[in-house]
Amino acid sequence: MKYFAVLITLLRDRTLFLEEIRQGIKIESKIVSLLISSSIFFAVYGAIIGANSSLPQVISSAVKLPALYLITLIICLPTLFFFDILFGSTLAFNQYAALILTTVSVISVLLFSFAPVTLFFLVSIRDYEFFLLLNIAIFALTGLIGVKLFYQGMQFVTEANYKTFKSREPLVKLDKTEDTPEDFVPVKDAIPVEDKSQKMRTKLLQFWLFLYALVGSQLGWTLRPFFGAPGEPFQLFRSEIESNFYQQVIRMIFTVLGFQ
Amino acid sequence: MQADLEELRITQKELENLSGLEVSEVFMGGAWRPSIIRNPKRLLSFLMTEVFTFGLILIFCLPIGLIVARSFGGLTGDASSAAQFLQVSFGVSVAIAFLWNLYMWQKGKSLKLLAHLLDEVDKHNEIIAAVDVIDELGAIKNSTISLIDRGEVLAALTATRESLVCALMTEKILRKHKRFIARRHELFSNIETSLVTLQHLRVTSQADEYGQLLNEALQIGMSVHQEMKQDI
Repeated sequence: MKYFAVLITLLRDRTLFLEEIRQGIKIESKIVSLLISSSIFFAVYGAIIGANSSLPQVISSAVKLPALYLITLIICLPTLFFFDILFGSTLAFNQYAALILTTVSVISVLLFSFAPVTLFFLVSIRDYEFFLLLNIAIFALTGLIGVKLFYQGMQFVTEANYKTFKSREPLVKLDKTEDTPEDFVPVKDAIPVEDKSQKMRTKLLQFWLFLYALVGSQLGWTLRPFFGAPGEPFQLFRSEIESNFYQQVIRMIFTVLGFQ
Repeated sequence: MQADLEELRITQKELENLSGLEVSEVFMGGAWRPSIIRNPKRLLSFLMTEVFTFGLILIFCLPIGLIVARSFGGLTGDASSAAQFLQVSFGVSVAIAFLWNLYMWQKGKSLKLLAHLLDEVDKHNEIIAAVDVIDELGAIKNSTISLIDRGEVLAALTATRESLVCALMTEKILRKHKRFIARRHELFSNIETSLVTLQHLRVTSQADEYGQLLNEALQIGMSVHQEMKQDI
């Protein structure tokens, strides 16, 4: 399958893959391939975590887990794109989509690689709490690795773009607007405009990753249940719509600390 | 594969450069290739893509539908409302998949000529693969199989390759300037109208002040030129 070949290329030679994205080579086919292959991996892992409960939960989780990652991506992508172009990025929208999809695909592959472990614990230990905890650890670990790789990938692409820009047009502009004698500082002290934009984009990226986590956790909360509580009948969704992920986290912390 | 044969092959990368579109066994520039129906392997790949695409549409439609339906009170939690929600979501997914296929079909219609050329390229590459097999068989000791006149075959393949490359380049140019070419009758009539207007302007400009000034300037220039020639 060609879709998986694209994913294997990403895993084997990430630098080349990112360079191709930067140059805009075959972006559409990359997006389609990564979308399909990551959806399949997420669906497989979703089915495994749903298998803790019942067959309808297996199907439900197989749809919900890929949706959780991909819809979060769609929700957050315009923010990253428009803010980045505002601060001087020259990448196109589809290049950003491909870049974020590389992260989601890496997470999906990592989750898929944990599938035998999860399946083993599912079969050997019928303990809902332990299974939940194990999966939280797996999701956190894969998410952190994926986000770290995305951060590195974005730095690589934007820095490579900056180098191209630098080689095309040497930049030495003083960080002052008016021509006063103090402006004549040594060249090494001059801050290129592009450097400032680069720093700004890095800060923006950090902010965006926080936003991505925020949206992802809330969407995950909205799409519950993924595991299906033991002894309870299948539910397509949990009826309490008013609560949110953060309220629940605060409530849990209070409970642990003995305030409730 | 021998180096001379390898050079004659039209690779996918070359095809993409020549056509300016992404080309694969199933797709060409984001549209289906009509040849998928004739080739079982490609047909399978096409069907798999259809299944995956529908799955992807479902993955997006079902949860978004769930969130929307819950927010607007369409889902009360009982079985009948859940069944209704699933029916609507499936219906929307099928409709999106249908529209996507319709779009691909429409796009494919505008790339008919390219599709035909790509099929010809496939045939050309298949012939090269066949020649390679004959070469390999001929390399075996005591083998009686060999091409009678390899040079002529290669010359014919070179000519085919050149004409295919030319055709692909021509198709790309025609495709790029499709709107321009489609408007050629309108353009010709425009040019004719412009010429008539210009002639008319030339006649009328002689009568007005501006034309007179122009004529005078021209006469001065001519006389200066003549004077200078006499001096020399």
